[in-house]
Amino acid sequence: MPGKDGADLASTTALPEPLVFAQPPDFAAFWSIFRENRGAVFGLIVLSLVVLCAIFASFIAPYSPVEQFRDAIRAPPVWAGGAWKFVFGTDGLGRDILSRLIYGARISLFIGLSVMGLSSLIGVALGLSAAYFGGGVDIAISRLTDVIWALPSLVLAILIIAIIGPSLFNTIIAITIVYMPSFVRLMRASAMAELSKDYVTAARAVGVGPLRLMLSTVLPNCLAPYIVQAAIGVSSAILEAAGLGFLGLGAQPPTPEWGAMLADAREFIRSDPWIVTLPGLAIVVTVIAINLTGDGLRDALDPKMRRS
Amino acid sequence: MFRYILRRIVLTVPTFVALMFITFVAIRLVPGDPVEVRVGEHGISPERLAMFRRQLGLDQPVWKQFLDYVWRLLHGDFGTSLSTSNPVLREFLTLFPATLELSFAAMLIAVIIGVPAGAIAAVKRGSAYDHILMAASVTGFSMPIFWWGLLLIMLFSERWGLTPVSGRIDLIKYYFEPVTGFMLIDAALSDQKGALLDALHHLALPAFVLGTLPLAVIARMTRSSMLEVLNEDYIRAARAKGLSPFRVVGLHALRNAMIPVVTVIGLSVGALLSGAVLTETIFSWPGVGKWLIESIFRRDYPALQGGVMLISSVVILVSLAVDILYSVINPRIRHAR
Repeated sequence: MPGKDGADLASTTALPEPLVFAQPPDFAAFWSIFRENRGAVFGLIVLSLVVLCAIFASFIAPYSPVEQFRDAIRAPPVWAGGAWKFVFGTDGLGRDILSRLIYGARISLFIGLSVMGLSSLIGVALGLSAAYFGGGVDIAISRLTDVIWALPSLVLAILIIAIIGPSLFNTIIAITIVYMPSFVRLMRASAMAELSKDYVTAARAVGVGPLRLMLSTVLPNCLAPYIVQAAIGVSSAILEAAGLGFLGLGAQPPTPEWGAMLADAREFIRSDPWIVTLPGLAIVVTVIAINLTGDGLRDALDPKMRRS
Repeated sequence: MFRYILRRIVLTVPTFVALMFITFVAIRLVPGDPVEVRVGEHGISPERLAMFRRQLGLDQPVWKQFLDYVWRLLHGDFGTSLSTSNPVLREFLTLFPATLELSFAAMLIAVIIGVPAGAIAAVKRGSAYDHILMAASVTGFSMPIFWWGLLLIMLFSERWGLTPVSGRIDLIKYYFEPVTGFMLIDAALSDQKGALLDALHHLALPAFVLGTLPLAVIARMTRSSMLEVLNEDYIRAARAKGLSPFRVVGLHALRNAMIPVVTVIGLSVGALLSGAVLTETIFSWPGVGKWLIESIFRRDYPALQGGVMLISSVVILVSLAVDILYSVINPRIRHAR
């Protein structure tokens, strides 16, 4: 080992390796690149509106999402000749669709963010352990992620839901397990690349302990691609949760989850198409907004992956 | 190259073992005693209970039960469905051609539209067409497939009456014994007039719905891969030689740009089967995806276990095949390690 370290030191004296993400990139620089991507800015604006809807749902929504107006079942929306009382109409049980969509934003974003948070944490823990310890630990973690990776995501999620039962909370658990491998793999790969660099050797040489080495020296340098992955993970998680909700294996009624709303609406596909159209539109708009924002994040944070 | 392929094959063995382990554990985590699930009544005598336990091998130590499970899988015994009492493998094999047919058609649509669309976008980079295609592509992979299906049913079937709502063929008009399980082939073999056309008519909309996601991914992937290739020296050389632009783009560039695209196609088999679960549910398409969902609601856990095992095996084997194919096409990868 000493010979190898010596050689590395010699090479660095000639040409210091640029540390692209030694510190978190400063916000002004990030914003100036992000702003160039018009799609990303548009996505961010739409996403902000959805987030505001989610946060202030109880102030914006005209009614409660579960209140049933028995005298106005399947009332048409305004543009189809309905009254302003129910702008987007009502569903099969007379619940105001606009209110349910607004509260639904809360649920979908909650699912997306929880899945992202949980799988990021697991990804950091397992990915860093695999990179640091290597050997048996690495093989065990890599095999585990490989097998989860090999299974079709929805099939695995269905198997998990079949075991632990359908609910909003269990949806989050199932999707976290399904999406965890991509985070573990990404963290492991970038941590391994970082571990071979000189600044890590330097940190080791001055006696930094393993925990501090991994968490405060290596981790910050692995974060840029990780954040991009996390942003895209939120949109996949929302889609997956809506799919489970649609199959009746996700959030249970009367939760105003967008996918579950579509499942309820299937029987009205002929008579009242807006009940089917609107929740899906909410999903598409939100997911597109997140994906566009994610593209912008990638351009700004990860120059290597910058789209040509 | 032979060593690389061998290595890759050996590496799938632990994946299969892990898969068997996961399905084995999963079925034991299901709430409720497996004997009670099967017998389905309370107040059963302890002797009979013990007999059932012995029959199911539940009196054995867990590691032995696992080895037993692996042994049975290796002999093609994927359990017996609780709801039909048929072997799970047989049920799977009768339904799988329907899923395969749907997935093939979806991939075909995705490739036939996606590759040229992406290639043209790369050539006309920055044009209005390029922008529109990329916007459509983002929309495509942000689309919840079940909603997309419902929307198209609403327009094409309900409003315009162009396509049938569900099923694989009009069962009132056409009847013939399944030979291969692939409706298109069976219909063609049946020599009933119009059967093939009717089967195609039923296949079109579900296949397009399922193909939307891979179409979006392939168009985008072809575009970025083309952009990279178009900057290479050999393309400039081909242009300098005076070859027609069509030959340069269509022959030299596209062929090289296809290498990453082929990988993406192979990798999206898992995503395709996930999408098939939803597509089959919407269109009442009698494939393995719909069957899997119905197994859950019938609490048919052996069918669920066997189904997950079989579907996952298919995905693992396909990605193995894609990796091997890739190493044959692209010599760089097999020398990498």
